[in-house]
Amino acid sequence: MAMTTRQRARLSKTIQIVVFVAVILLLLFSLDWEKARYAFFSFEKLGPMFPDLIIIGLRNTLFYTVISFAFGLVLGLLLALMKMASFAPYRWFATGFIEFFRGIPAILVLLAFGFGIPQAFGTSWPQPVNVMLALGLVSSAYIAETLRAGLQAVPKGQTEAARSLGMPAWRAMVTIVIPQAFKIVLPPMTNEVILLTKDTSLAFILGASIAQYEMTKFGRDGITAIDAGLTPLVMAGLLYLIITIPLSLVARKFESRSARTKR
Amino acid sequence: MNTNTSTFKASGVSITGLHKSYGDNEVLKGIDLEVKPGEVVCLIGPSGSGKSTLLRCVNILEQPNAGTIHVGGFEATDPEVDLDKMRRTVGMVFQQFNLFPHLTVTQNCTVAQTKVLKRPAAEAKEIAHKNLTRVGLGDFGERYPDELSGGQQQRVAIARALSMDPTLMLFDEPTSALDPETVGEVLSIMRSLAKGGMTMLVVTHEMSFAKEVADRVVFMDGGVVVEEGRAKDVIGNPQQTRTQDFLKRVLDPTHVEISD
Repeated sequence: MAMTTRQRARLSKTIQIVVFVAVILLLLFSLDWEKARYAFFSFEKLGPMFPDLIIIGLRNTLFYTVISFAFGLVLGLLLALMKMASFAPYRWFATGFIEFFRGIPAILVLLAFGFGIPQAFGTSWPQPVNVMLALGLVSSAYIAETLRAGLQAVPKGQTEAARSLGMPAWRAMVTIVIPQAFKIVLPPMTNEVILLTKDTSLAFILGASIAQYEMTKFGRDGITAIDAGLTPLVMAGLLYLIITIPLSLVARKFESRSARTKR
Repeated sequence: MNTNTSTFKASGVSITGLHKSYGDNEVLKGIDLEVKPGEVVCLIGPSGSGKSTLLRCVNILEQPNAGTIHVGGFEATDPEVDLDKMRRTVGMVFQQFNLFPHLTVTQNCTVAQTKVLKRPAAEAKEIAHKNLTRVGLGDFGERYPDELSGGQQQRVAIARALSMDPTLMLFDEPTSALDPETVGEVLSIMRSLAKGGMTMLVVTHEMSFAKEVADRVVFMDGGVVVEEGRAKDVIGNPQQTRTQDFLKRVLDPTHVEISD
């Protein structure tokens, strides 16, 4: 029996919907509602976590993210410029640095900073400082590549036109190249901040005093301190979304505003 | 055509013994060229002949390997020369326009005036408007470059260069990236600049424009000047075989015999 293309498309769509609904129904019926509610959604028992989860945990997560990003941005810009430099040893150093810190898991860098560096250098600053240094280093490697790609994506003719009008090199960079690179770099940079926000959750492995806890640490402690299953972690997860989703929205708004002049 | 354009302050160019290589590839093999103030000189020749490189050496977008270039009161090839100061007096128009896409048409014409010449914003805007009107785009100030046609963008690029009050204008194949129907509008602006007494050095493939507007035509091939002289002589009655071959190919592209 021959079917037209349109009939075939309609049939395939119907099958997709039926399968999708069947899977959902299967999950809903096989779920033990009582236990699931206890394990994930016992929000009414989270009273003891507040207000510390917010005024300490959320604040520290934001603080670690902002400082790490600021550090990563400065170092990343430096590395990006080094990688574009005409002096070859700068390029070698930047390439080596970037490949190293991009290539190993963040948690290894974190452990190195938390336990190795204090021993090796005899430093004893608070663990959050080590966390921010480690995360800043790791993110600087990614940021450097993003910035370099952004700066190089601005056509060479833009610099030539600016220089031909008598602008010094730095002026051409600041007024003509960087504003265009900024628009190119904004989406991947947003990504970078979001990744960094989540990576601050790794801080718990270095141990910390209560005042230094970030949200994930509060969530983990909540599991044992409160009889609410994994609900404390669900709560922490929701708070991460409260940070990251507005970030995406702001970036998208910027993007659409500059889209017209982006070509 | 606008015949009562104001006269420009014009400066000349003097090039002697210019050499430029990229690695082992010698692109300019000793060029001597004199452009008098107010003169219009067209550089013609096959692609790869070095004419664009020569033009880009004049404002040191390419660093020459040897030779001297004088532009107005500046020695461009002097290592001590203030290049930024010199470039303010030399307008450059590119094949690909190179307008600043993140700035409006007016801002394209004011940014260097305010940042480089330190003109007050109001004055810069007035000058920008005067020059945009000159190129027929007085009402386009608030648009962005990507909202304009190629011909309009190139006219903005000319207005942008003029807003710096240059005494010399360099044109690097200004119509080569344009749709055929917008070539004329750009050429007519250039014609009126020439009439106004602007010194112009133009790399072009528009032979009829060269014949009509240029005071002098320079034919280059293989990094040397092969022939130069009055436009109607070089284009109308070329003496060198290389010039004759080139012009035959350019002027009558459908009747080229493929030999070799």
